[in-house]
Amino acid sequence: MPAIELDGVTKRFDDVTALRGVDMTVEDGEVFGFLGPNGAGKTTSIDILLDFVRPTAGSATVLGMDAREESEAIRERLGVLPEGYDLYDRLTGRHHIEFVGEAKRADPDPEAIAERVGLDPEDLDRTVGGYSRGMTQRLALGMALVGDPDLLILDEPSSGLDPNGARLMRQIVREENERGATVFFSSHILGQVESVCDRVAILQDGAVVAVDTVEGLRGATDTGTRLVVSVAPGEAEPAADAAREVDAVESATVEGDDLVVAVDSDAKMAVLTAVEDAGIAVDDFETEEASLEDLFAAYTDEGATPEVAAGGDAGSERAGATENTDDTEGEDGGADR
Amino acid sequence: MSADTGGDSGGLDGALRDAFDWYPVAKKEFRDAIRSKGLWVLSFLFTALFVMPAARNWWGLRSAQQVPRRLQEFGLQVAISRPYLDIVTLLVPIVVVFAAYAAVSDERTSGSLKFLLSLPFSRRDVIVGKVVGRSAVVGVPLLAALGLTGLFFAVSPFTFKIGVFAWFVLYTVVFTLVFTAFVVSISGAMSTNLRSLAGAGIVYFYLSFGWNALANSIGDVLAQFAGIEGALRWQVVLFVKLLSPTQAYKTLTNSMLGEGAGAATTARYGMFQQGQEAMGTICGDVLGGNPQIRQTMFGNQTVCQTGGSGLPFYFSDPAVFLSLLLWIGVAAAISYYTFDRVDL
Repeated sequence: MPAIELDGVTKRFDDVTALRGVDMTVEDGEVFGFLGPNGAGKTTSIDILLDFVRPTAGSATVLGMDAREESEAIRERLGVLPEGYDLYDRLTGRHHIEFVGEAKRADPDPEAIAERVGLDPEDLDRTVGGYSRGMTQRLALGMALVGDPDLLILDEPSSGLDPNGARLMRQIVREENERGATVFFSSHILGQVESVCDRVAILQDGAVVAVDTVEGLRGATDTGTRLVVSVAPGEAEPAADAAREVDAVESATVEGDDLVVAVDSDAKMAVLTAVEDAGIAVDDFETEEASLEDLFAAYTDEGATPEVAAGGDAGSERAGATENTDDTEGEDGGADR
Repeated sequence: MSADTGGDSGGLDGALRDAFDWYPVAKKEFRDAIRSKGLWVLSFLFTALFVMPAARNWWGLRSAQQVPRRLQEFGLQVAISRPYLDIVTLLVPIVVVFAAYAAVSDERTSGSLKFLLSLPFSRRDVIVGKVVGRSAVVGVPLLAALGLTGLFFAVSPFTFKIGVFAWFVLYTVVFTLVFTAFVVSISGAMSTNLRSLAGAGIVYFYLSFGWNALANSIGDVLAQFAGIEGALRWQVVLFVKLLSPTQAYKTLTNSMLGEGAGAATTARYGMFQQGQEAMGTICGDVLGGNPQIRQTMFGNQTVCQTGGSGLPFYFSDPAVFLSLLLWIGVAAAISYYTFDRVDL
């Protein structure tokens, strides 16, 4: 039985169509990433799963139950970290955890939860009004874990978290998955999804443009991953020759004085080692990750060749998208966060 | 972290949790609200509003050697019917409006409703829990205020009729709860705090100042366009009047203060101010009383005495009280109906 099933879900608000016939299946026991830029319809999809909004057409089932008719029974078994939520400023962290425990008829241990999400136990007895954004997010994540839910729905869980917090969040996702929970989480940041998810759906303009495994996603991502290696003037050509010897390298070209290698990100070190083994000193290197826009382009522009799809087309079509094309001045690495 | 079901935290708390799905919402609401400074200020006002007349009365009479017998005997009733009926019907609702108008709409605009409804609560649980929670928030200071008021009356030279005061407390609490249910329900049906406040304000003004006019104009329309005259017309008017919680509360309290067989009839009759002929019809045919014309310094006045067939059961105190209680359910049901339909 799938954990989540969306069948032709369409949602029209007054003058906007947020979802256009979304079909998606999340299998029981997997970690499923829901990727898309802000405004793609991720939160609306989640709102439909939670019966916050009702679909204009189509149907949604969660844990084998109808999202509309059996919402309360579904939510008994759900842990949710909503997006754009707010907690009760005058209540303490402990109050919040106790409240969730009462709601789910579970008996949570607030200290243990605080420790798990990296919240100082002393903060448990402070009111949430005095929490920082990151602390609030940690508490909310902890609240989602109360009662060992069968399905965790996390909407942009890393928002407001520092890198450590984001890492902890991913670790919790893995732990929960090992316990047997299905995890469904949305993000607009590729790196978040990539490292923990078994499968990923990509949503754009209210439609699912691709559902893929992480390997498949990596393949598409790597079309846009470039390793830029600075070497001494005149040594770029021999370095390129050395790089081409590495199996994982798709292409190695010289751009100015730099060596630009399109390579699977796991094989970066192999390339650098190969260059150094050829007797060429590496002054500096940097990787330019594929941006989400590039990835969408890779999935949506089916006719285009991978290199072009990963860079030029997407860059020129989308205002404000980072551009990874030919005459980069060097500083516009596609990290869009 | 254990996931055992059946929270056996024991005691009343656990029992309430087991019995009612909305209980955690109500408890959270109360916990949250008692930490709000604004609500403390509000309950202080509440208490002051209530206690002041009783305290002033006690202060004024404390050194009086001899209080007239009639005043001693009926002082409590007079005090309730004079300042207290107005305080309860005009000022308490304003306090309630400010204490409760944001109950649901604030959670909606801030986004905590998303969190609340991601837990296993139905939207009905949320509305019911909110109504109960806010009622407790308003009810606790109200009871404290009423208790203090009672204390001042008890130490004043007035005969303290505990029965009279207990009924007054009961009616007042129920009336306040009805109003709280109204305001919370409006809050559930509105998308923003401002709309919620406006909605509650309009309802308050209409119930307090516009309702009698509405009831009377319905009677006029019936008479003019449907040819419905006489007893039926006034029955409809009285029925509409009694639909207002404010009117129902007033006439219930008046009837209780009247103490006696004809008190309910007199209290209902007192809701009308019509010409002599109409008053006769109202007394005789609507209320089953015995109209008598009395000469007073202001001319002839019809008074309504018991007799005849007696007050029909549907205009009796228990019926009026029941309809007052029903309002709590009706308000919550309407609110649930609108709240359940909307996208958050």
